[in-house]
Amino acid sequence: MNNFRQASQLLIHQFPYLVKQAWGSLQSKPAFVSGIITTLGLTLGALLTVLTLAYVMLLKPLPYPQQEQLYTLEHQLIDKDGKVDGRAFTYPNLMHFYRTQQAFSLAALIYYDADVLISSPKHPTLSQAYVTPEWFNLLDARMALGRGFEQTEAVNQYHPVAVLSYDTWQKEFSLSPDILEQKVTFSGTSYRIIGVLSQDFQEPELLDTGMKSQVFLPWDFNSISEAERKKWGNDDDLLNVLAKLPAGKNPEQVGQALTGLINNNWQENVAGYAFFNGWGIKIKLHSLKTVILGGSEQSIYLLLAGLIALVLIAITNITNLFISRTAEQQHNLAIHAAIGASKSQLFAVLLIQTGLLMLMAMVLALVVATFGFALLQQTLNHVFPRVDELAINAFTLGSALLLSIGLALFFARVSAHMLNYRQLNTCLHTSGKGNGVQVPGKIRNALIIIQITIVTSLVLACLVLFKKSLDTINQDGGFDTDNITFMVLALPSTDKEAERANQLQAVRRQLLALPQVEAVSQALAPMAFTTRALTANISNERYSVKAKDIDHKYFSLINQPLIEGNDFSPADIKDDNDVIIVNDVFARQLAPGASALGLTLNGNAIIGVVKGIRLPGKNNIPPRFYYPTSQGRNMMLIKHLPGQALTREQLVSVLGQVNSRFKLFSLSTLNERRQSRLFSQYTTAVTSGALSLLTLLLAAIGLYGIISFGTQMRRLEIGTRLAVGAKRRNIIWLIFKDNAVSVILGILTGLIGLLLLVLAFSESLTPYINWQLLPLLVATFGLITVISCCACYLPLRRYLNQAVALSLKTSP
Amino acid sequence: MTSTLENNKEIKIQMRGIAKVFETEELETHALKNIDLTIYAGDYVSISGPSGCGKSTLLSILGLLDMPSGGEYTIEGVNVTDLSLDQAAEIRNAKIGFIFQSFNLIDELSVFDNVALPLRYSSEKMSEQAITERVTECLQAVDMTHRTGHKPNQLSGGQQQRIAIARALVAKPAILLVDEPTGNLDSKSGDQVMDTLEQLNKSGTTICMVTHDPRYANMANIQLKLLDGSILTTPAPGANIKEAV
Repeated sequence: MNNFRQASQLLIHQFPYLVKQAWGSLQSKPAFVSGIITTLGLTLGALLTVLTLAYVMLLKPLPYPQQEQLYTLEHQLIDKDGKVDGRAFTYPNLMHFYRTQQAFSLAALIYYDADVLISSPKHPTLSQAYVTPEWFNLLDARMALGRGFEQTEAVNQYHPVAVLSYDTWQKEFSLSPDILEQKVTFSGTSYRIIGVLSQDFQEPELLDTGMKSQVFLPWDFNSISEAERKKWGNDDDLLNVLAKLPAGKNPEQVGQALTGLINNNWQENVAGYAFFNGWGIKIKLHSLKTVILGGSEQSIYLLLAGLIALVLIAITNITNLFISRTAEQQHNLAIHAAIGASKSQLFAVLLIQTGLLMLMAMVLALVVATFGFALLQQTLNHVFPRVDELAINAFTLGSALLLSIGLALFFARVSAHMLNYRQLNTCLHTSGKGNGVQVPGKIRNALIIIQITIVTSLVLACLVLFKKSLDTINQDGGFDTDNITFMVLALPSTDKEAERANQLQAVRRQLLALPQVEAVSQALAPMAFTTRALTANISNERYSVKAKDIDHKYFSLINQPLIEGNDFSPADIKDDNDVIIVNDVFARQLAPGASALGLTLNGNAIIGVVKGIRLPGKNNIPPRFYYPTSQGRNMMLIKHLPGQALTREQLVSVLGQVNSRFKLFSLSTLNERRQSRLFSQYTTAVTSGALSLLTLLLAAIGLYGIISFGTQMRRLEIGTRLAVGAKRRNIIWLIFKDNAVSVILGILTGLIGLLLLVLAFSESLTPYINWQLLPLLVATFGLITVISCCACYLPLRRYLNQAVALSLKTSP
Repeated sequence: MTSTLENNKEIKIQMRGIAKVFETEELETHALKNIDLTIYAGDYVSISGPSGCGKSTLLSILGLLDMPSGGEYTIEGVNVTDLSLDQAAEIRNAKIGFIFQSFNLIDELSVFDNVALPLRYSSEKMSEQAITERVTECLQAVDMTHRTGHKPNQLSGGQQQRIAIARALVAKPAILLVDEPTGNLDSKSGDQVMDTLEQLNKSGTTICMVTHDPRYANMANIQLKLLDGSILTTPAPGANIKEAV
């Protein structure tokens, strides 16, 4: 306590003097200072970035009033076996809920869509949200201009108005001040712009992380057809509900009450459909925060763990630098001690130095964090939610302050620990020979063990993730994606079906006439499927199966093998024949051990069986079937010759030649779509790969520093051994042997740590644990061994190659 | 072993025209210039001179801890001027015993292990029993058998230097090279160490010692004085004089 008081008094009374002295002392060691600031600044910057992200995602309240009372609804369609067949609302159930519910004080309906903005000469495709007016109230959506939706835009008012996001106002209308006098036109309907959302408004991303709506339109105008609006069995993922639960109400009880309300009505309406016998509806409430967080909680914890490990490596490296620095400062500190500085006062001197360094490192860390936020917002906005809210905030600054203080105290304590205060007093009145700071071997070994433990566990974990991601990325899906483009057209709704079909066939012919084009198929992209209900004609067995409408060119275009029966004929497409093709998985389910050809489902005969395709990022192949598409289908796959892709302008020109009102809604290659689906795998691969490299780099630097310093400390010993006749190999073996124990202990500790982790989280980690890990394990040990060997040998070379007399000199 | 006789005395060390130049980018320092030196079996040679005159450099070259820039050097008739690092290590192990000013004992090793160290590096492998016998013999010679299990930092300076002498003797070297053996000792311990060296010489050990203490330099039968890298006076071959200069 007395020591603490002395140190505090010194700090309080002589603070400016101590800072000046510390600054002067640090100025004479630019390499030491820059090494610490760079290492800590970069690693702590990365840590602060991810810490702030974790805070925003997990702890920070959503930026909406009474956010804890906001919920979304999950509409579970449960089949006769009790399995959940779908988790999205059917349109009639949604409207029934909206009209009759009384559990929520406010409930908003949302339908997410996208369409071509016809009124703009560039014809951009904008993401849309069709919402009821409550959406604006629930989220307290502040406006930059105009107003949000009110009762005039309530359901069945059919008031064609629009609200733009700030981003859209900026990008599509160049922040035009007269925006409220303009209109936007989608699919033949013009909407008067009545408002622009505020720049700082954060739209809750309900559909998918990173998916923001660019224009908000009244619910009445959503693109769901009149026929679909009456289908009680067709759920739609784009339909959503956002509602506010009055304070004190139990979400589970409300869910049960709503289940009764919706299910009873649904049962009455599907009573006539045999397919739905034994099926039911269940409603579950999910807090808005949970929905927005999605499945990213695990990723952020993993990233955080990786970065903490990285910072620990950096800290061990810097601990070693401070130990070396203390050895250098021995003489100066001995003078302080000789003129009466107490142990605690020496600690204060060291603390000021470490404090200054931590302050500078933290400034760099905050700069790095600012860049980190921008990087996350640019690249990972589809992986982590709420990245738009990332900024240096009180949490970031508080964390930075705590880390600075903690690290400054830690490094000062380590440095003070190195000093033997009693020996300091004798340091000055001896010749100085043989009196250097003796860094205990235990500390050196502990630093090596910590480094190796972290490297073993972190690199192995990262390599496992890296390999898993690469395996998924490189997995063959069973179909071609190279040289294939997927095109979606926006067609005028007023045209007659037959006329549209003729015009689309004309588009198809014109495309085929282009020299770059090898084949064209009218179909949904290979990665997209819808769900359809099927009933077998004879057995009456019911199935809910993934489905896709395709034409007769589809399988050959994507090179999906037909393994039994026939492909669709042009006549099947033209005449809309009652035929289907199933994949092998569904065929085995329909007719185990026999041929499924000839079986009929919903009156459609199975004419062929194709090999199932594996979608990017998916492990299993579900049952699927394919049915003839309409000739008026607005989606096309275009296979072009290698290296001869069609440009957007060429396609727009073809469309314009057939019908000037045909617009290009979207254009993407199958490889782009595949990469987009594998985005999280690519992100994991890049992150884990980069983290592995960074860990190895930091560890290599750290191990080199620690072992090199240890070798340097043993200079006299090495010189003496050489003087009495030790050969090079004797000395190399000595250094290797002495460090090998620490390296092996570190590897074992790392492995035990990983084993405990696997035992503690066996359920989540089981998919990652298999014999294929053995090469990774060997590779990790190999890398660590190589790094350790280099760290042992390289610093030693100097002493082995120079004259022994130099090693024996009492001062280096 | 090849030995050379001159005037019926065995030549242990012979240097002809040895020079040592230290070079930096800007400076060339001639630490030793044209040194001719012959040491015979049983000689007790002291080398003294002012600071920076080249004493330590000469001792380093004598002990193969450094290589000369020019000249020829033989130990017991073997030319050691241009050896590889490992060959030099072998010669050091077999033919030279070192005693340093700061003792240079290894803190982590016991007294016994410190003394046994040269035997562990010997190309002629010895049994553990032989090593124990030899180490004990040397410790007896310096009267330190009661401290075999201790670590160097548990001993006084004088005791540490006696252990260093035992280590220097353990491999039965052709010559003992001694660098300011009393520099880190009080006068009483210094005198004890010098007595030990004198006894060793009387029993036939060849010694070459660097010192700037005239009292101890006088104990040698050949006294060389070095100035600016040159020996001021070279004794006649086989001379056995108290004062060569």
